[in-house]
Amino acid sequence: MSVHDVAIHEVDAAKIDALLTRFLDDSSATAALLIDRSGQPLTTVGPSRSLDTVSIAALAAGAFSSTGALARLLGETEFSVLFHQGAKENMHVSTVDEQAIMLVIFNDQTTVGMVRLFAKEASRAIGEILAEARKRPRKTGGLAAPISADELGPSFPNKRA
Amino acid sequence: MSVINYAAKAINFKVVYYGPGVAGKTANLQYVHKSLPDANKGNMISLATGDDRTLFFDFLPVSAVTVRGFETKFQLYTVPGQVYYNMTRKLVLRGVDGVVFVADSQYDRLKENVESLRNLEENLKEYEYDIDKMPWVLQYNKRDLPNVAPRDYMEFLLNRRPRRVPSFEAVALEGKGVYETLNTVSRMILMSEFGVEQEVRT
Repeated sequence: MSVHDVAIHEVDAAKIDALLTRFLDDSSATAALLIDRSGQPLTTVGPSRSLDTVSIAALAAGAFSSTGALARLLGETEFSVLFHQGAKENMHVSTVDEQAIMLVIFNDQTTVGMVRLFAKEASRAIGEILAEARKRPRKTGGLAAPISADELGPSFPNKRA
Repeated sequence: MSVINYAAKAINFKVVYYGPGVAGKTANLQYVHKSLPDANKGNMISLATGDDRTLFFDFLPVSAVTVRGFETKFQLYTVPGQVYYNMTRKLVLRGVDGVVFVADSQYDRLKENVESLRNLEENLKEYEYDIDKMPWVLQYNKRDLPNVAPRDYMEFLLNRRPRRVPSFEAVALEGKGVYETLNTVSRMILMSEFGVEQEVRT
């Protein structure tokens, strides 16, 4: 286990979902994703259609980290906001803390200024919840006791021949 | 870095396929993508150049066995192998839980394998990961080609660190060795995360 490992317990997930739901109400954005900087989606709120959140998380984390590398070439620590403008849909990605970023999808029902304003507020609150979550034991309930080698079969038993 | 999500009953891991350019890292992911049933895989994304060389990474999310009621999911990434893409390689390694080092078995590529493994070790150090303490496996790819080095010689070059790791011969394009490699690294990751201490070291 590394120091960066994360566990999202039910209580934290509920708090984060409530914050993101309020953020969507306040900002009139369509969907919000909390993403770990390694590319793992942590939670998603409000997609009105089926979004491929796993791919979005991997690509957004990649884009955010390469933008961070660009920033460092300019002597900045990072660019804390990334904004992609489309014909109908837009994307706003911003820093939550050292481990997580927040991605917002929005259309012409709102503006980038509104999204930025409320995202900043939501990010701060989510950062505090994540800091609390990292203090909790990672493995509880069924995962608390170690797993023996016999318990694990092949990881991918159902591949096609 | 693993993410345990108690609300979604899922555990996510990140596996990176590393190695020199054109060793077959993307071919591994393509075969997994082709052979897993739809229910166990997501979309494969390739950020490649016009001539099919990986520019940033390939990405394939797959779901594996359920452990104590939690679905285990592995996000498979490749890195660009070319020496000059080191910056992007480093970015992809962020939060990695396990590595598959794909080596090109051809005699004239042996030097690149050794350099790439050294590069992996250095890049892992930047994230404070120690290669000798994390789950990783070796895959000797392209065993169907005529000019390949014997397995023992590959072992001598790449697998004589303080802790020897499992190694597999493969022809990734045909799928040979692909699942042996993936099943082993994923099991090592699961044991390192959830196993008892003694079993981690074996």
